[in-house]
Amino acid sequence: MRGIFSSPPPSYLLKVRTLKAKPKTRIKTGLEKSIGENSVFYPYLYLLPYALFFLIFWVYPLFDGFYVSLCRYDFAETQRTFIAFKHYISLPFDHLFRASLINTFLFVLETTPLIIGVGLAFALLLNLPFLKGKIVLRVLLISPFMLSMAAVCMTWEWILGPQFGLLNYYFSQLRLPTQTWLLERGWSLFAVVLTTLWWTVGFNTILFLAGLQEIPDVLHEAAKIDGAGRWSNFWYITLPCLRPVLLFIIVMQIIASFKIFGQIFIMTGGGPAESSRVMVQHIYETGFQYYRMGEASAIAWVLFVIIMVFTLAQFKVLSKQTIEY
Amino acid sequence: MKKINLAVISALIFAFALIWFSPILWMVSTSLKPEKYTIEWPIHWIPRSVTLENYYSVIFESVINIFRPFFNSIFIALAVIVLTLLTSSLAAYAFAQLRFKGQNVLFFLVISTLMIPEEVLLVPRYLLLYKFQMINSYNALILPMVASPFGIFLLRQFFLGIPRDLQDAARIDGCSKFRIYYQIILPLSKPALAALAIFTFLANWNSFTWPLIAIDSIELMTVPIFLATFHAFGVIMWGRLMAAVACVTLPILIFFCIAQRSIIKGITLTGLKG
Repeated sequence: MRGIFSSPPPSYLLKVRTLKAKPKTRIKTGLEKSIGENSVFYPYLYLLPYALFFLIFWVYPLFDGFYVSLCRYDFAETQRTFIAFKHYISLPFDHLFRASLINTFLFVLETTPLIIGVGLAFALLLNLPFLKGKIVLRVLLISPFMLSMAAVCMTWEWILGPQFGLLNYYFSQLRLPTQTWLLERGWSLFAVVLTTLWWTVGFNTILFLAGLQEIPDVLHEAAKIDGAGRWSNFWYITLPCLRPVLLFIIVMQIIASFKIFGQIFIMTGGGPAESSRVMVQHIYETGFQYYRMGEASAIAWVLFVIIMVFTLAQFKVLSKQTIEY
Repeated sequence: MKKINLAVISALIFAFALIWFSPILWMVSTSLKPEKYTIEWPIHWIPRSVTLENYYSVIFESVINIFRPFFNSIFIALAVIVLTLLTSSLAAYAFAQLRFKGQNVLFFLVISTLMIPEEVLLVPRYLLLYKFQMINSYNALILPMVASPFGIFLLRQFFLGIPRDLQDAARIDGCSKFRIYYQIILPLSKPALAALAIFTFLANWNSFTWPLIAIDSIELMTVPIFLATFHAFGVIMWGRLMAAVACVTLPILIFFCIAQRSIIKGITLTGLKG
């Protein structure tokens, strides 16, 4: 041991010492002082690019949109005339607005339980332990959600076609009365609901599947030992454990359903006789076909408030109970 | 006995899945039929004579050409993805790892816009871009989509989960803050960045209302708008239409089959953290 200390340090240690850089003494320039790493402003540099887009395309339009909703502003005119809440007051007396409001609520009411229920069912199917070929099954059941909305609508319009549609063909084979799905009151909105279900359910399935896989096996086994059947296992173990995922999905689903537009625009155009007219469509037509910008903005704000109320209410109701393992 | 039961159940599930998937098969089948055979009863799932003329006309003929809208959609989506990843990751890094005045207030402001449906912004954004004379341009379709609050939320959440020790070690070695961002934080956040990219892609690929408003020239049409217009021609040629639909659908479907695992992973990452 002593030999090491007495002998001169080996050459590689010397090399290291010479390689080590001397601490630099740099003169701070004015620029470095103000936006250099240690300055107060430095972190804001990282925010700058985002803030630019955010201020121009979110913050400003938000305020401007609300102001426009308080004005009479036809696009042909250059001036905005301030009329306070007149648009909001006259909206309930507009029968087109009322129709769109009712249909939007109907759509939300029909899609939400359906898409969430089917999504959960698919996830449970894909989670069955004995099933083989799950990758193929996953592609078959989930992949439609990756497709373009317009492509999905076209395909379904072809299938639901009144004359040569695939569905009516099978209906006639089964001696059921054929339907003119998209051209009939009552059916048209439901046809859009089914299309939306087929298109979007895969997304919820993926989330549910992830939720299912996070439930510890121990819980199910313990329940089995306690004599729980398949049903009570699902009701008392699986479902409570899925609560956070469920809350998330319900909120997302309701928000998305309130914003329905594309499918309606392509498949029914709001018809027949306004029976599938929805709110975003009403915004679009008021603002960009009749160019009544003020009124369109007012409708948009009504939609915004409705969505807000629903979201907050759900968080209140559903987040009260927490899970305990 | 039990084994047979399970086999029967599996078979039933597969049969159901096949029926669920059948609209896509029907779409492909129709697209391969000559126009006169598309509307015949009884129905033939396997075309009696297969032709590629629908695809040829949709891809090469000028009237209803899918190439330009397809290119537009991809280009716009990619541009938005690049800009979003860049701006959001920088800002999220500041929110997660740096300290500055008003940090929490600013973050809360950004996050609270998650509650705002973009439909509220349709009218004012249109008026704004009209003022800038940017309506009917790529800019109109790209720029408003960049600053999504979702990106900030997702990335900040992920950045917070990266162990601080790594950065402290880097700091001691004399690493600058910006270098920590692009040599430590970014490489470690690949799953989150990929998830954000996928989400941004899907959102833009499907975006309908805004392009419908902001675009009226044929050269700038995106895929959804193109298909909707195609449809508005009156007499619908289902063979052509389904060929167009197949052209925009099949690449995505193949992509999904290949990248299934990472797509699902990305979605669960964002979904459950969200």
